[in-house]
Amino acid sequence: MSTFIDLTGAAAQSATYGADEQQRMGFFTDTTLCIGCKACEVACKEWNELPEDGYEFTGWSYDNTRELNGNTWRHVTFVEQFSGRSAGTGRWLMESDVCKHCTHAGCLDVCPTGAIMRSEFGTVVIQQDVCNGCGYCIVGCPFGVIGLKEAEGTTGKCTLCYDRLKAGEEPACAKACPTDSIQFGAVDELRERAEKRLEAVQGRFDGAQLYGTDTGDGVGGTGSMFLLLDKPEVYGLPPDPIVPTKDLPQMWRAAGVGAALLVAACVAAAVRA
Amino acid sequence: MSTSAGSIEADRYGYYGRSPVKPPDWSDKIPTYIFTGGFAGASSLLAFPARLRGNDALARPLLYGAAAGAMVSTYCLIMDLGRPERFMNMLRVFKPTSPMNMGVYIFSVYSSAAMLAAAADATGVARPVGRACEGVAALVGPAMATYTGVLIADTAVPTWNEGRVTIPSLFAATSAAAAGAWGMLFAPPQRADAARRFAVFGAVGALIASKRLHAEVGPILKESFKAKEAVKLGRSATVLAFSGTACALLAKKSRFFGVVAGALLFTGALAEKFSVYRAGYISAKDPKYAVTLQRQRIDARGGEPTRLREPSHDGRPAGSVSA
Repeated sequence: MSTFIDLTGAAAQSATYGADEQQRMGFFTDTTLCIGCKACEVACKEWNELPEDGYEFTGWSYDNTRELNGNTWRHVTFVEQFSGRSAGTGRWLMESDVCKHCTHAGCLDVCPTGAIMRSEFGTVVIQQDVCNGCGYCIVGCPFGVIGLKEAEGTTGKCTLCYDRLKAGEEPACAKACPTDSIQFGAVDELRERAEKRLEAVQGRFDGAQLYGTDTGDGVGGTGSMFLLLDKPEVYGLPPDPIVPTKDLPQMWRAAGVGAALLVAACVAAAVRA
Repeated sequence: MSTSAGSIEADRYGYYGRSPVKPPDWSDKIPTYIFTGGFAGASSLLAFPARLRGNDALARPLLYGAAAGAMVSTYCLIMDLGRPERFMNMLRVFKPTSPMNMGVYIFSVYSSAAMLAAAADATGVARPVGRACEGVAALVGPAMATYTGVLIADTAVPTWNEGRVTIPSLFAATSAAAAGAWGMLFAPPQRADAARRFAVFGAVGALIASKRLHAEVGPILKESFKAKEAVKLGRSATVLAFSGTACALLAKKSRFFGVVAGALLFTGALAEKFSVYRAGYISAKDPKYAVTLQRQRIDARGGEPTRLREPSHDGRPAGSVSA
């Protein structure tokens, strides 16, 4: 079953680029440093020329962005953990969420046009001139990252600033982050940095834990990793994401059983009693 | 554990009631396609033995029903795209990891064959080609009726993904019920024996598969079928399947009961597919499903995440190369 996924050649750094292959790049978002300024959201919108999300007031603390979707590729979550109303007894959780650029990406696997591709940087990119807006990637993503771009009729998500990477620049959000909560770099390096940082903050922050650094998890680890201060679901992240394609052979076998039953029913129905 | 300030209450299952996975952004054209495509495929299958036996009174309405189903399917499939003019982009790659890509090939072969078969029969032009097309449509029909089960199962939508073993068989059964029902509606009762039996097998099969699906997805996701958007459809499907089956048993000689049974079973099959679709939508929209399911999975593994495979000796999955 696991070999099936390898056959796709879609896993990060699948060596299809030959000499053009680059180091796998990603993010390490350290939420202990996030001050909730949303500079990343703004820089992302600005650089990628994305439309605004509307001006509604959600009442979700300082979060009026709500979610990642086709036109919002960075999203700062705000969680207020206070018991009662007295100050000094609780804490703020802030986290800048982004596409995970999975090692085994559900969106890439299910995309029927090949619009979603693995770049030479090991990132996952939707080619806007190929996407036909079928919406399959929206449900193929175990992190709920992707959404429809209404004006274009295609789907959208973070490209890790593919154009900037090609020019040797870091992504706009990481560049704009004033506290280095968003760190850009080679995935292997960032993973080590994340582990060191976890050691450093353990004991100082309740519930400190890494997210996406486990290369053996249900998506083979992610290119965007996080240091969180509570369970992933508190931030709206799935606690145990699995790439849906993991069980694809089992699904086709089930379809084979269904088709065989259908043919058997037809033969039984057609035989004269 | 943690409470929020003021009136702001972060949902206990997630982030202000938002789910960690997204529900489909599809219109009802997609569940309609799942129904019409399956109905068409099963109709082509059932038409084949009828044709072999020279039972044209049954074969012909099934051929035309299949062609109509294929036409509605084509419309739904293309018009639900954000960029319909780019439909053909799905044919620029052959991608076994994408059930939708595989499905487009199945659908293209099937619908061309089904429409050509009906056209040849109606016009009398190129009869041998038409007969060959009937064969192709009958051969690909079962794939048409079941691949949509793989398509929705291969997603992060909790109820569909967890129901992956049963959903294709449930779709096969509802397709059989709809195709048989169509035969009962449009063929004279004395020529519709096969259709009646096929419809009853389908309806009974769907009742069994539906029960199995509820068990397969587990106690939490089973609740998604009881959400208000899905529950009426599910109940209607059960009532229609039972009453339709009862009428079908009385329809051996009676055209009246045949038509009633056909209408009940056709509608019941439609309701069953929509109930599965809606339950899936709810399971992705409401955070309690994905979060509870995944949290339980982790707890059952003693805090460990689900493994794609065991880590290799250097701790990296086989697909990745260290820099």
